[in-house]
Amino acid sequence: MTAVDETTDPNPTDPVTETPANGARAHSHGAGTVPDASRAERVTSYDVADFAVPRGREEEWKFSPLKVLAPLFAEAAADADETAHVEVSGPDAVEHRTGTPAEIGAGAGFRPGDRAAAASWAATTQAHLVRIPAEAELDAPVLVTVRGEAGRTTSGHLLIEAGHHSKGLVVLDHVGGGAHRGGVEVRVGDGAQVTVVSLQEWDDDAIHVGQHDVLVGRDAFARHIAVSLGGKAVRISANLRYAGPGGDAQLLGVYFADAAQHLEHRQFVDHEATNCKSYVEYKGALQGEGAHAVWIGDVLIRAAAEGTETYELNRNLLLTDGARADSVPNLEIETGEIVGAGHASATGRFDDEQLFYLQSRGMPEADARRLVVRGFFADIIGRIGLPDLAERLMATIETELAATMPGAHDALQAVATGTSTTTQTTTEEN
Amino acid sequence: MTTELTPELVTPDTTGPAELEGMDKYRFGWADSDVAGAAAKRGLSEAVVRDISAKKSEPEWMLELRLKALKMFGRKPMPDWGSDLTGIDFDNIKYFVRSTEKQAATWDDLPADIKETYDRLGIPEAEKQRLVSGVAAQYESEVVYHQIREDLQEKGVIFVDTDTALREHADLFREYFGTVIPAGDNKFAALNSAVWSGGSFIYVPKGVHVDIPLQAYFRINTENMGQFERTLIIADEDSYIHYVEGCTAPIYQSDSLHSAVVEIIVKKNARVRYTTIQNWSNNVYNLVTKRATAAEGATMEWIDGNIGSKVTMKYPAVYLMGEHAKGETLSIAMAGEGQHQDAGAKMVHAAPYTASSIVSKSIARGGGRTSYRGLIQVLEGAHHSASTVRCDALLVDTISRSDTYPYNDIREDDVVMGHEATVSRVSEEQLFYLMSRGMAEDEAMAMIVRGFIEPVARELPMEYALELNRLIELQMEGAVG
Repeated sequence: MTAVDETTDPNPTDPVTETPANGARAHSHGAGTVPDASRAERVTSYDVADFAVPRGREEEWKFSPLKVLAPLFAEAAADADETAHVEVSGPDAVEHRTGTPAEIGAGAGFRPGDRAAAASWAATTQAHLVRIPAEAELDAPVLVTVRGEAGRTTSGHLLIEAGHHSKGLVVLDHVGGGAHRGGVEVRVGDGAQVTVVSLQEWDDDAIHVGQHDVLVGRDAFARHIAVSLGGKAVRISANLRYAGPGGDAQLLGVYFADAAQHLEHRQFVDHEATNCKSYVEYKGALQGEGAHAVWIGDVLIRAAAEGTETYELNRNLLLTDGARADSVPNLEIETGEIVGAGHASATGRFDDEQLFYLQSRGMPEADARRLVVRGFFADIIGRIGLPDLAERLMATIETELAATMPGAHDALQAVATGTSTTTQTTTEEN
Repeated sequence: MTTELTPELVTPDTTGPAELEGMDKYRFGWADSDVAGAAAKRGLSEAVVRDISAKKSEPEWMLELRLKALKMFGRKPMPDWGSDLTGIDFDNIKYFVRSTEKQAATWDDLPADIKETYDRLGIPEAEKQRLVSGVAAQYESEVVYHQIREDLQEKGVIFVDTDTALREHADLFREYFGTVIPAGDNKFAALNSAVWSGGSFIYVPKGVHVDIPLQAYFRINTENMGQFERTLIIADEDSYIHYVEGCTAPIYQSDSLHSAVVEIIVKKNARVRYTTIQNWSNNVYNLVTKRATAAEGATMEWIDGNIGSKVTMKYPAVYLMGEHAKGETLSIAMAGEGQHQDAGAKMVHAAPYTASSIVSKSIARGGGRTSYRGLIQVLEGAHHSASTVRCDALLVDTISRSDTYPYNDIREDDVVMGHEATVSRVSEEQLFYLMSRGMAEDEAMAMIVRGFIEPVARELPMEYALELNRLIELQMEGAVG
């Protein structure tokens, strides 16, 4: 990791130059009778005042626990220090700088889309830049840890720039307690291939509202993976845009919601360039009274985005009564010149056939259930590409699962070792 | 903006300057019971509602319900989602039009494009006359159905217009009216509850199967039905009925509002199928609330075709209240230039072992917009419920638009819920193949579209399926190139 003087190169031009396609436009909500004609009309702004404090009736907040999240809607007091505690490590080739958002060149690929994001932007005095130089191929991941503290509200902004034709993996881990609001801005240069993983491994009482904007360069590949396991209420909005034609991007996620836990994931894929691909897949399990998962997947294909191919998928596994899953895949399409567009959403319980198959092989039901859950998540977690991390996340999931299935057999650990495979192959190994 | 909102069958010369002066006129002159004057008034006020009720000699409770609904209408906000409804000018609407006006309507009053539609549909000149005298045609239809009705009457089936039902079946009416869709359900349900007029009232007694569909074709032009029809269907235990409504009825001559409320009660083990093919002319705001409750073992099926109108917002709902109840919606929407079809379905699973299925097919062309908007809600306790949603959209050009907004809210672990949607365009290969066999491009396009909607069309009675196909061909003409 190279520490870079904050004063150098204030105007990075390497990866992507772009104009926000979706800039703030005058948009009055006063009349209240003209609905937004498309998802793109929703307000984005750096000014907190442009967003009212949500009251619960707003389309974009109606599923969220606003009382719990209230601290994140407050503007930071002038003298308050909301600097988040952030640790960054990674290969030498990677540059790391800190400074105000302006100093590190943040914002070109990020526009706050809600009050928490705008308040966070305004309160951030120390933003972080992680830059993968052009044509660099990282041999190890960049690790960014955000550590929250109980009793504090923290704000932050992380800018990840991947130079053209670079390759890399960035893992952002959220741990600790308190209230955190944070922006993540990912600019993927032309032809680059980047994976960004955001782990929400908060303590039980933490709250978190985050906005992650990903801008994909020409012929680039970007993958964003959200993993939400901890926290009292977590809401991650991932927005995907394309700076040029030929981009290919994936927004993936897994979540495990426990009793009284609210985990919300929203995506907005905005296709404006031609011949781009997007794929969204979120999978979640829910257990316990008051466990609530919300998944909103918005895809907009603008008239200019000919040759677009998109698919969205959400699967929810309800493990007990008392849990609630909201799943809304929205698709807006303004041109017929597309390769394909579709979405699917399914919510259900255990696949009885899978359970039966495993039990017929002599496995106790509790073990069989755990194995099915493991298989359910393995596919996406495997795509992080770090076996150790995958195993750690699996272990966390299984610990949570054990809360409802106390009878689980120890032998399972032996059965399900070190794999990040699909259900199918896991099953065959038995 | 000022939008001319003229109810059906009103000739242009009844909209003279005297009526355009607006609300002041009502305050001073409305209580006057002059029939023709009432027909020409615009705007909504307590006096208007009282007058409607008085003219129908309604019981006091209905008047009170109307007045309460009027207050709710005033309080409820316009929906801030869906279509742009700013073109509706509530002050310019005539809320009650008496039949005297319909006599003034002649074939020549119809706009040229609607006349043309009928020509191309192959309706002979004689039939055209019948249709337009409109009202007369309706009466003739009623005679036809009257024969059926007598046959059914012996079995105890009631099939009358809703105003008659309030007079002649007061107890039954009062027991169910407004129980499925309360007046305050939404702004337009409140409006309908305040000024409703006409519609169908059907009661099917226990165990009675009505084999031939009841058709509501005639009512569209019947007097007093207005734009706020109110339909109430009660299917008693183990009964069956298929109600077909409205096929092609392009009636309106300028921007109008059609805001119906349809309530259906499907009792234990009964089955109701409700088919609508709306083809309003392209200046009608079609904002309809349709909802059914299905008791234990009951089945409710909506078949909902939206071809016409300027804006349609309609989401037929089934509340599955009893174990093993079933709900099914087949929805087809076609939007051409200047049209927005915001249609879909709602299924609320409130009991165990309930099943629902939604199939939606939509076609957008010529810059039109189709939106599927749906809700699947599985309430706590509705275990072993299953729901599938399938949405397919077809875009035939590059200027049209298709949206899918499916809401799924699952609060029970033991359920199976699936939603799938695809949006596709007519492929060059499909077109090329058909054209290589000697078909003109628009013929080929129409054939592909017909194939696309076939799963819905085959659920329709023969004559409606044929008519749907014809309508789609008409819509598709000139869609290519």
